[in-house]
Amino acid sequence: MGHHISRRTLFRTASGLAVAGALGSALTACGGGTGAGSTNDKLTMTWWGSDERHAAYKKVLAAFQKKNSSIEIEERYSGYDGYFDKFNTNVAGGSAPDLLQMDTALVAQYARKGVLAPLDSYVGKSLDLTGFSKTLLAAGTVDGKLYGVPSGIGVNQLTINRSGLEKLGVAYPDPEWTWADLKKVSVEIHKKSGGKLYGTDDVGGGTLQAFEIFAREKGQQLFSTDGKKLGFTSDTLQEWWEYWADMRKAGACPPPAITSAAHNDLTKNAIVIGKALFTFDTGVYGAGGSITDATLDFLPTPRGDWSGAREGNYVNGGVLLSATKASKRVADSVKIVSFLAQDPTAIKDMQLLRGIPPTEKARDLIKAGLNDTDKRNLAMADYISNRVAKATDVLEAPQPPPQGADQIWDLLFQSNLSIAFGKTTVKSQLGKFFDQAAGILSA
Amino acid sequence: MTTAQTDEVVKEPPAAATPSDERERERMRRRLARKRGGGWWPYVFLAPWFVGLFGLTIYPMLDSLYLSFTKFDLLTSPEWIGGDNYDRMFTDDPVFWDSVHATLLYVVVSVPLKLALALGVAILLNRPLRGIGLYRAAFYLPSLLGGAVAVAIVWRQVFGGDGLFNDVLGWFGITGQDWISSPDTALYTLVLLAVWQFGTPMVIFLAGLKQLPKDVYEAAAIDGASPVTRFFKITLPLLTPIVFFNVVLQIIDAFKTFTPAFVVSNGTGGPLNSTMLYSLYLYKKGFTDLQMGYASALAWVLFLVIAGFTAVNFVASRYWVHYDD
Repeated sequence: MGHHISRRTLFRTASGLAVAGALGSALTACGGGTGAGSTNDKLTMTWWGSDERHAAYKKVLAAFQKKNSSIEIEERYSGYDGYFDKFNTNVAGGSAPDLLQMDTALVAQYARKGVLAPLDSYVGKSLDLTGFSKTLLAAGTVDGKLYGVPSGIGVNQLTINRSGLEKLGVAYPDPEWTWADLKKVSVEIHKKSGGKLYGTDDVGGGTLQAFEIFAREKGQQLFSTDGKKLGFTSDTLQEWWEYWADMRKAGACPPPAITSAAHNDLTKNAIVIGKALFTFDTGVYGAGGSITDATLDFLPTPRGDWSGAREGNYVNGGVLLSATKASKRVADSVKIVSFLAQDPTAIKDMQLLRGIPPTEKARDLIKAGLNDTDKRNLAMADYISNRVAKATDVLEAPQPPPQGADQIWDLLFQSNLSIAFGKTTVKSQLGKFFDQAAGILSA
Repeated sequence: MTTAQTDEVVKEPPAAATPSDERERERMRRRLARKRGGGWWPYVFLAPWFVGLFGLTIYPMLDSLYLSFTKFDLLTSPEWIGGDNYDRMFTDDPVFWDSVHATLLYVVVSVPLKLALALGVAILLNRPLRGIGLYRAAFYLPSLLGGAVAVAIVWRQVFGGDGLFNDVLGWFGITGQDWISSPDTALYTLVLLAVWQFGTPMVIFLAGLKQLPKDVYEAAAIDGASPVTRFFKITLPLLTPIVFFNVVLQIIDAFKTFTPAFVVSNGTGGPLNSTMLYSLYLYKKGFTDLQMGYASALAWVLFLVIAGFTAVNFVASRYWVHYDD
């Protein structure tokens, strides 16, 4: 009968088309390929940070452009979430920024893949690094070449809700405190608050802020020198996880739901939501400004309380500034880096927003303009770096982490969470952790 | 039956051909015959579509197939490693299995719930009520909003430890937990978000319901069939082609879910990989861990799995889908 379309045919066709369309899109999302470089003649610079950091960068770059009118800068900024996902995509697509803020944890990875430009030939000419110590520059040095200029000194500090402690009538810990002291004071907080508060956030799965320093106190690094293996033993990790399991049991740190919610989300950090008084997360204060209304103070990571415990702290480079290899404007980028490092107004405008300034001169410049919390932050950083400088038993600062390090950190976090949720035991998770980590590092 | 009636309405009897019409038609036929073979004009007009098809679909697909056999970090050239990616996936990647588990659970729970709700609401909305258009729009609204990042963020707040959902539970004296941060419940918050967006299948069901022949219902009512019997013996069987269509589409859609998992878990797939939906894992591997070759292999496995599910659906449909022609 002529043009009659049966319902069968109609639905078959419609379903078929829909299926084809839906499936196609699942696959095409992952195409690769490299395109031509940016045709824009502005120099692009990217960074991550808080609103305060954005404002400071913009102010400094505006001042730079006033002095260097030939260099036009396109500023792209965001939070840390997704920053490197976007950078990867841009590099692959041939639209990498000319200059970017780089994470010390990732610089080796990108340098070895040939994404970053070595800056050695500019040092002493257009790149003025007067006053930068050699140990500090090591943070941006990969295989003997400088790929990133450190913005400042970074040390790991715990952020403490000092007014919260005072309200409970708990004594402020001594900076020479140990892991046992942390447990004691945390339990005290939990008891005195009637179980409403925990002492500290759970960092059984935390890396740089806690576990790395604990391992270093044991005389071990996170990774072997060649980056192909883990540098710590199963015993170290077992002791660590058991410590935090005890802490959870005693109410010294919060249950896993709170830990899980805070993963990658500073706004859910235990100290920010008012559930704990100590946090190991340096981002709570360091990213600029306080998120809580409390009076904040700072302490070093606790010391080892066993015999032969070593100094675990070290000084790193804060964030770095790196130029990309594909960029045609490396020379111009270097001028900006140099300006940020040495120009007095730039240093004053930036204050502590990219870490504690790297040079003595810069630290003197900003001291007067700091608020009280910044002053306490700076004083504690001084305290820790002096302690590191004086210590005779301290390991050398860790190498930039190898490729896959971030996956290992995630594995550490998930493992601790899994133990905390009671889905596995410390003993059985240890085997899994070392197996999977070996797989990640050899991939 | 209805089809016969529609045919009669649609088909107008052609006017009787006049001799001049016959001649005109003959000339056209010859002109077309001459053009055939050298006729490249159609392809010129189709070119924009071909460019899209090859440039944006077929080429990237083939490229991803090639990449799935390589080690490719996006930043340096791909390196051929044969089937290692596929091998690793099935033998040496526990997170892969976590994501398969989460995804299958998500598909199996969310699709039937969503379709049942869509059908139920469609039946309620298939009544001659005052302002029915308004109700339909209201029920469709979540589907317009639901895909948005903003809603997923709201979800995070609603089901968080001190969220709205726990407040509501509190009225009944129930102390809730942090639903998003517990590995046992996190996935179900995503299921709920999916079910809430039942608008699209609902509209399709509604269109199907409107097509159903009235005379069958009248006959059934006269014979004394209850509404329940009418639903199971008439509505559902007649609606099976639509159900089938919706099942196929919703399964494919559910397998590819990304945005809510990404936003609700803050990009982590946590807690404990419980919301690590396959697409999210694929994204993490490709764009965060820079293992684009592995991610491409993951994409192809997803492709084959979805194609497999769809094929099974089509075969099974012979036994339960009822076409009335």
